[in-house]
Amino acid sequence: MSSADIGQDGTAFDRFEAQVKELKRGAPPVNLSDDERVRIAKRTMLEKLDFGTAMDLETCVHCGMCAEACHFYEATQDPKYTPIHKAYLLRKVYRRELSPIRFLNKLFLREITAQQLEDWQELVFNSCTECGRCDMMCPMGIHISKAIAITREALGAAGLAPPELRAVEHEQSESGTLFGIGPPELEATIAQLRSRGLQIPIDKPKADVMVLTTAIDLVLYKESFAATAKVLNKLGVDWTLEHSGFEAANFGLVSGHHSGQALESKRVVDAAIACGAKIVITPECGHAYPALRWESANELQKRLPFEVMAISEYMGREIVAGRLKVRPMAKQKKVTYQDPCKIARQGGVFAEPRAVLAALGLELREMESHGKTQYCCGGGAGVFLIDAAEPLRRRTFEIKQHQVDDTGADSLVTTCNTCRLSFTSNARKVNWNTPIESLVELVAANLAD
Amino acid sequence: MTLLDFARGPGFFCAFMIMIVGIVWRVSGLLMFRWRRDLSKARNPGPFTAVMGGLRTVAMRSVPPHELEKNITFQHFTGYAWHIGWFVTFLFLGAHLPFIRSILGFSWPNLPNGILLVITAITLGILLTLYIRRLFHPVLRVITDADDHISVLLTILPLITGIAAFGHWSPLGARYESVLAIHLLSVEALMVWLPFGKIFHFATGLLTRFRLGAAFIRRGVRA
Repeated sequence: MSSADIGQDGTAFDRFEAQVKELKRGAPPVNLSDDERVRIAKRTMLEKLDFGTAMDLETCVHCGMCAEACHFYEATQDPKYTPIHKAYLLRKVYRRELSPIRFLNKLFLREITAQQLEDWQELVFNSCTECGRCDMMCPMGIHISKAIAITREALGAAGLAPPELRAVEHEQSESGTLFGIGPPELEATIAQLRSRGLQIPIDKPKADVMVLTTAIDLVLYKESFAATAKVLNKLGVDWTLEHSGFEAANFGLVSGHHSGQALESKRVVDAAIACGAKIVITPECGHAYPALRWESANELQKRLPFEVMAISEYMGREIVAGRLKVRPMAKQKKVTYQDPCKIARQGGVFAEPRAVLAALGLELREMESHGKTQYCCGGGAGVFLIDAAEPLRRRTFEIKQHQVDDTGADSLVTTCNTCRLSFTSNARKVNWNTPIESLVELVAANLAD
Repeated sequence: MTLLDFARGPGFFCAFMIMIVGIVWRVSGLLMFRWRRDLSKARNPGPFTAVMGGLRTVAMRSVPPHELEKNITFQHFTGYAWHIGWFVTFLFLGAHLPFIRSILGFSWPNLPNGILLVITAITLGILLTLYIRRLFHPVLRVITDADDHISVLLTILPLITGIAAFGHWSPLGARYESVLAIHLLSVEALMVWLPFGKIFHFATGLLTRFRLGAAFIRRGVRA
């Protein structure tokens, strides 16, 4: 963790964790009967099912190997966490309502029930980080995480997302703020950083690059935000932040709230188009990257007129191209790198952060599972915010902890604030002392003169 | 008409027709699903990259990933073993070849009966072991449904009845012709079930691998 941000005593982090614990109180009420929940969930599933997912659901041979890929199963050995089991309700609806042999299936399969939908909340939200490790391991090549994502969306539409996620999504879609952080807090942070001599442009009418940040960074990881500004200033890039679309996090996606996801994507896309950005850079926020890079064009049904890059990807590209120069760190350090699921396995950003680490002269000690098969931090896809998932998160952290310890690295570097939150929270509880570092902060601290 | 006549004649014809019509029906139904166009900008654009990514995943998923080796190797390789054993028995048993020749118009040399008997016994042993494992393994119990039981049963039955016919066994005093007829009917039951149960993965399994590989390589991930 960055001690400058969180404080040696961790008070800021404690405050944030306390705030997270209170989130569920802000969940909007849901007034749906059981029948309505079932109807809405089924309708959502049927709308989202396409050729690919239908093929997947037809092909599963119930081998159960995906269980071995899932950190929730591995940590608990509880068979209910088998990934394909999490997609059971979707498969059931598909087989009854859409399968080419539904006439036969209907004889043997009952309708899904409201109780089943409630039971599946734990399976698709609390115990699935949408990390996609199962996708990499299924011998039949089934896109299991996509089937679970559809189930999440169905439960979300039926008002059955966990209250914490509903609260955060409601806040974002209604007021445009997250954790109470909005434009005034952004301005306050900018003023604070400008007072340190850092140039941070905002609302420029035209700019080549638009930078996003996120409430988590503004609350806990201001140095990441500052580091991004330092890197871009060093490169001499024509960049800006936009009041109207600075928030990278998309809790519509995380909570399975389709219209919220589209609304939040639209804010960013509109802001980028308005300032004529050629590149939009997402901060060290895992899900922000796929939300904008892969999902938004399909949500908004139009191709994006700009490129979307994660900050780690952007820095890696600039370093490899020789435009961004860093000085090798004076003290030779051994580090291990946590590939954030959404940026790496779901996003293809593997080489760039490693190029950055190499340029910094750091010795990279890879974990046994790294790259496309790395283990999730345990907090992705909103799981970090779900109070009831806390014991499970702790169990999955043990896997990660062992993998990191086995590398013998002095510190762990990542480029996702959810990973940092998750690691920090668990590390503090078990007195695990391996420092957790931000890639962009490392670069900013070692820019060549 | 004896039971054997039925199994060789109308029984086989009906099973064959149900199998073909069922496969065509299920494949056509799948092809009629909506295909979504991905409007995001590909990291690795182009049909060639997609095809290569798809083919790579088709090949790579044929072996267990390093991370899972210790936990799934038995299941993975016994899966291969019984599939191979089943088809070798079907395609290379001397008694099957005249039947194959009558359908295709040609055939190939058979393997010695002794070897095939061993292969069949091993195949049957593996299938029974995997089925018992399915009944008791906590994960498999959670995800097992009627389809699994029916599919396993219908895969095993031709082996058991085939061994009985091959050995001229007469369970319950049945005549050889009756045992042979039951063997044929067990194969026909499998043919009828083929388009409706999970055995249908024979038609989609490689395609799902390919599709996943092509989708992920678009994002720059070698799945």
